[in-house]
Amino acid sequence: MSRLILKNLTKKFDNVAAVNNISLDVEEGEFVTLLGPSGCGKTTTLRTIAGFYQPDEGEIWFNDKLMNNIPPAKRNTAMCFQSYALFPHMNVWDNIAFGLKMRKIPQAEQKKRVADALEMMSLTGMEKRMPSQLSGGQQQRVALARAIVTQPDILLFDEPLSNLDAKLRVQVRVEIKEMQKRLGITSIYVTHDQDEALAISDRIVVMNQGHIEQVGDPQSIYLHPATSFVAGFIGLANILSGIIVAREENRVQIELPFGRLWAFAGDMHARVGDTVKFSFRPENVTRYREGSPNKIEGTILHAIFMGDTIDLFLDVKGTRLRAHAESTATFKSGDTAQFSIDETAFQFLE
Amino acid sequence: MERKEISVLHYLLLLPGVGFIVLFIGSSIFITITQSFGLFSITGKSQFTMENWKAIFHDKESLDSILFSLKMGLLSSIGTLLFAFPVALFLRKGGAGKRFLASLIKIPLFIPALVAAFLIINLISYHGIVNEALIALHIIKKPLRMLNDKFGWGVVAIQVWKNIPFVLLILSSSLASIRDDTVDAARNLGAGTFAVLFRIYVPLAMPGILVSMILMFIKAFGDFAITSVAGPTYPPSIALRMRNTATLFQEWDKAAVLGVIIILTTLFITWLYSRLAEFVTGSK
Amino acid sequence: MAELAIAKKQKTPWYVSQARRKRSFAILLTTFFIVMQIVWVGLPIFMTVLWSLVDPNHPWSYPNILPEKLSWGQWVYVFKYTNIIRALKTSYTIAPFAVLLSFILSLPTAYVLGRKQIPGKKFFQTIVLLPIIMPGMVVALFLSRVFTAFGLAQSFIGLVLAHTLMGLPYMIRVLTTSFEAIPQDIIDAAENLGANTFTKIKDIFLPMVRPGLLAGMVFAFTTSIEEFNLTFIIGTPTFETIPTILYSFLGYNFIRTNASVVALIMMIPNIVMLFAVENILKSDYLSASLGKL
Repeated sequence: MSRLILKNLTKKFDNVAAVNNISLDVEEGEFVTLLGPSGCGKTTTLRTIAGFYQPDEGEIWFNDKLMNNIPPAKRNTAMCFQSYALFPHMNVWDNIAFGLKMRKIPQAEQKKRVADALEMMSLTGMEKRMPSQLSGGQQQRVALARAIVTQPDILLFDEPLSNLDAKLRVQVRVEIKEMQKRLGITSIYVTHDQDEALAISDRIVVMNQGHIEQVGDPQSIYLHPATSFVAGFIGLANILSGIIVAREENRVQIELPFGRLWAFAGDMHARVGDTVKFSFRPENVTRYREGSPNKIEGTILHAIFMGDTIDLFLDVKGTRLRAHAESTATFKSGDTAQFSIDETAFQFLE
Repeated sequence: MERKEISVLHYLLLLPGVGFIVLFIGSSIFITITQSFGLFSITGKSQFTMENWKAIFHDKESLDSILFSLKMGLLSSIGTLLFAFPVALFLRKGGAGKRFLASLIKIPLFIPALVAAFLIINLISYHGIVNEALIALHIIKKPLRMLNDKFGWGVVAIQVWKNIPFVLLILSSSLASIRDDTVDAARNLGAGTFAVLFRIYVPLAMPGILVSMILMFIKAFGDFAITSVAGPTYPPSIALRMRNTATLFQEWDKAAVLGVIIILTTLFITWLYSRLAEFVTGSK
Repeated sequence: MAELAIAKKQKTPWYVSQARRKRSFAILLTTFFIVMQIVWVGLPIFMTVLWSLVDPNHPWSYPNILPEKLSWGQWVYVFKYTNIIRALKTSYTIAPFAVLLSFILSLPTAYVLGRKQIPGKKFFQTIVLLPIIMPGMVVALFLSRVFTAFGLAQSFIGLVLAHTLMGLPYMIRVLTTSFEAIPQDIIDAAENLGANTFTKIKDIFLPMVRPGLLAGMVFAFTTSIEEFNLTFIIGTPTFETIPTILYSFLGYNFIRTNASVVALIMMIPNIVMLFAVENILKSDYLSASLGKL
């Protein structure tokens, strides 16, 4: 069980910083996800924590031990790989027991721990099978069992579900989360799938081009994105810029090409005349009813039936917006309709 | 994807290349076997007999040759492996310097066996540069007899020098098939350098190790040219003895027996090594 | 500015400098191996070159570290007073014929092995390797008996057949790889546009296997030049090739200087040709054919 502290971590490849001055503090037992697009540095960070890369600058601390330059074999971390990385020449039992063999755990204790792990992962009975005889989901569970059986200080996940089909992904991620909660091991999880991140993380670290955009729990990240990158990356967003033309206690009025909108501004410091950048989600743009705020009129460009909602692409006097409507609505391209934007939905970005 | 057609035409098209090989190799092997039993003698009479076989097995000189060649085969295959495996591991991760190193290492591949034999003969002869250097460094007092020596070290040296790149290529491709993830996973779970070597690299590279050992053994066992120029006067390699028996003593039947022994040993070693493969990958 | 630089230097943490030291060690190790390899490969070649240039009137013997005088004397001697020119002619005449025959025989075989699924494919691929796997001297000795029975011993045709036999595995393997690499889509497109078999061969297959063909021809050529066992048994004494002449200089007739010259004559064109294939064609055809034996 371990705290993880990253201080000003930088890792360069060929003089390009893949990870640029990252600092992070992870509590014991926390499940933290590094989320971002390809190339944002999340995997590099993970592998540096594991010890496969040495940082160019900065420090890595497990509790109060400095881990820089300690080889991977001595760090007591356990990693789950996207490709499962099971040893193809060993059966399930030997794969799971490998870490225990390396730590010279006595035979009796090995037997017990492996049997427990097999049970926890619903793999009892498969001890003698070879990895090539297992399905993707089973291989992933063996990889998990192999990782937890060593009782590591920190669990590392490198996009472990990317190779599974969609339904399996949803099922296994729940299993991972439950297992982690039960065992209480500090976990760092890397993914580019935001649904995954939102579903299972205690906290999310959104990364972009080597630096951290925002850190927060899933709700905060989703509802209150701090930067336009986060707003655009997580969920869908309408991102716009406008000039503040009026200010009331906690609301501002913003001038936009298609009209003026009132937005709750909370403790935002902008003044009349300032240009602000903000976002709101399509689900906050709904059909106009009498008394709804921020009425706008738009032409339907596309109406896409998503099952639980209809995803709408609107043209509002030249500005493209996305909106949602109830699944029973009927829209055709070319129709015009009136919509309302929820005043509380505005997130101001830097 | 090719359509799965079983067509007579396909077999006919195979005929030129495959047929040529089967014809010539097949006929020579056939004659070897039959002549060993006294049949199909090209010159002289033909009659089935086990005499030749009995004669060879009672012939001390032939037995000595067989043992000598077995020794050469074993030492050459082990020697090249010991040199080539660490280098293959070292070259597994790339790097500009390493690519240059790899092309340097490949050079003996381009050098024919006889030339290689001669090149090394120059170095390890009694007053050659290796001996001179060792004496100058006070490692030995008298020059070592490394050439035409009774044990056969000269031959082993040449075989190793010439064949390291050959074994290296096979091992490299075997090692390349080992995913980096697998090695990372092992290190992540606590495997130190030796554990990674013996529990991951060696078992997973075993197919390549065994193929190269088999091929190396067969080559060194059945060698004629290198042993005849750099080997001991006695015993000669089995191939050399076979040829002398045939062309010098004109005892083709007895030579045929030796030929069959060479072929059978080749097949046996191949079988043995593949059994070894299952044993090793099974237990580890 | 200077104080900042000094302060920065003093603050380099131990783990960063340790990482740097590890990297420099790796570079040092690689350099060491490169130097060792240059000696390992270069020294034998260098010694042979040296020996070939020893002046005939100043023999190089122990205890001299280096020869007294260098000249082209040995080379002149070998060319004037040995059969090297005859051997060169023989070698370089047999080789093209062997390569041509190899090519003709390999093409259909490689086509089937590269592009068609037939039962027993693996079996046939093993057969193709037989000339390399089978012990050379055994095949040489008893094939010569077969040749004698058919009047092919001590004949040019016999030698060409023998050299073709040894070159076929390389030619077939390289051509098979080349055929495999042709995407089926291209064949389908050609058929779709109306190409008949002849056009397919002429305009699609042959051009697309040309790089592999070149590599295969070089391998078959060098195999023929280097071929010893079969040539020695079937060809001598009527025919002498470069390897058999070298062998004669290594036996009872051991004259180191002559042997050096012949060894270089045999080695240099080989290395040049094979290096060219490996580099100009920019792919590992050499490794693909399991290396030269």
